[in-house]
Amino acid sequence: MLLQQIVTGLSVGGIYALLATGYSLIYSLLDFSNWAHGEVAMIGAYCAFIVVGTLQLPFGLAIVGGIVGAAVISYLNERVAYRRIRHNRSPNMFLMIAAMGLSTVYQNAAGLIFGSKFVTYPGIQVSSVQLGSVYVGVLDLISLICTAIILVILVYLINKTRFGLNVRAIASNSYTANLLGIKVDQCIALVFLLAGALAGAAGVMLGLKYNVYPTMGNIGLKAFIASVIGGLGSVPGAIVGAVLLGLIETFASGYINSGLRDLISFTLLIVLLLVRPTGLFGVDVQDKA
Amino acid sequence: MLKINNLTAAYGGIEALKGVSLEANEGEIVAVLGANGAGKSTLLKCISSMMKPTGGTIEFMGKPVSTKPHEVVASGLVQVPEARQIFAKLTVEENLRIGCCQRNDTAEIAKDFERVYTLFPRLQERKKQYGGLLSGGEQQMLAIGRGMMARPKLLMFDEPSLGLAPIIVNQIFEIIQTINKEGTTIMLIEQNANKALKICDRAYIMSVGNVVKSGTRDELLADPTLTEAYLG
Repeated sequence: MLLQQIVTGLSVGGIYALLATGYSLIYSLLDFSNWAHGEVAMIGAYCAFIVVGTLQLPFGLAIVGGIVGAAVISYLNERVAYRRIRHNRSPNMFLMIAAMGLSTVYQNAAGLIFGSKFVTYPGIQVSSVQLGSVYVGVLDLISLICTAIILVILVYLINKTRFGLNVRAIASNSYTANLLGIKVDQCIALVFLLAGALAGAAGVMLGLKYNVYPTMGNIGLKAFIASVIGGLGSVPGAIVGAVLLGLIETFASGYINSGLRDLISFTLLIVLLLVRPTGLFGVDVQDKA
Repeated sequence: MLKINNLTAAYGGIEALKGVSLEANEGEIVAVLGANGAGKSTLLKCISSMMKPTGGTIEFMGKPVSTKPHEVVASGLVQVPEARQIFAKLTVEENLRIGCCQRNDTAEIAKDFERVYTLFPRLQERKKQYGGLLSGGEQQMLAIGRGMMARPKLLMFDEPSLGLAPIIVNQIFEIIQTINKEGTTIMLIEQNANKALKICDRAYIMSVGNVVKSGTRDELLADPTLTEAYLG
């Protein structure tokens, strides 16, 4: 029972992490919460559904389709909407409002195109394997492993590559990054592409685990809570916050009452905002001089 | 090398540059002096394409400068910005890496790291520390090192003495001279006119958006009206 809960908690946490890192990356660059991010995951889930359900291609291709579809939408959000708002030097609030608008547009568009009913990926066997004395869902296990690999690559990308260094420089001081020759707009667009791809992977995993439906992107709110727990703007923080949240939720529904799950996560958010607004990893390096 | 002709620029409706013309010749240290609000920083923003001029031309090495900041840097026009603008959450070494963010010549980059660390041993000692934890003087050294990592042809300093103790200011000015002797042309924007005049070859004096005086160091040092009238 305990091991089972832990695996489930980690796999839910992993999905949150795929979304939460995107929130954090975009927040760190542009100082706004991208409320359309959950819908990007939803679009990824539907893209995968089109590939496997409508076109009846193998599921491997559906994963690729989900990731690519979500990445493209995320990139377009930046190119068409956010970049203009930035270049107009409008207040950051405008970015958030645009994101909310996009979120509603995508939800309604998905409802119009696919209908508001739940769909599932056809031909997916739900099986479990025995680990010691307990059974663990194969899907949970696979999604857990994939997520872990993706997140390790992401952290490497941000901390060890030139691209990651440029991203962190823009997050620290975008004006100076621009002045010193970093292609700021190009970097931001790439981050949206990357965050979109991660969201697409999350969307496909959510579709596998539950269903695909137009408002499934609301789970983005949970991922947002996770990134606040970890400290908004910090990628490792978002991962730790997401895993914590996944575990807490799973244990709450397993040992207390599944109806209390959301109550507990949102209470946690409010307490954290009151007690430690910088989150677990939000250690701010203040400029001393 | 750098040729600015009749440059105008404005914030909203307010003119900050009212037709500025000046030049920097290869190998020299040219100073641009003036009190607060003279338009010195606006001039640098225009050169770096961080701000769009309303009129006039800026030519570098015989070609108009690009309107994209990263292309301006790639062409060899690099700034050491006002108030240092260190990336607080990046280490000293990473800050320097940003300076060479457009270069791919790994071997030459390694040489430039050597050069910067030789000039500023303090930075080598602290290379793994966050830039935000350095003192003001160390941050100024880091900002200069970061500029050098771009291998500039012309390095522009925006108020390098601002907020630093006099003894550090002397060090910084010595370093500017050293960089110049090693072959980099320098444009030095300063309010601290006395110090800047001593190390420059030529200088321009700006006041409320205009160049009001220019000349060689000796000419300007011999001009008794200068300090009273424009520099305060």
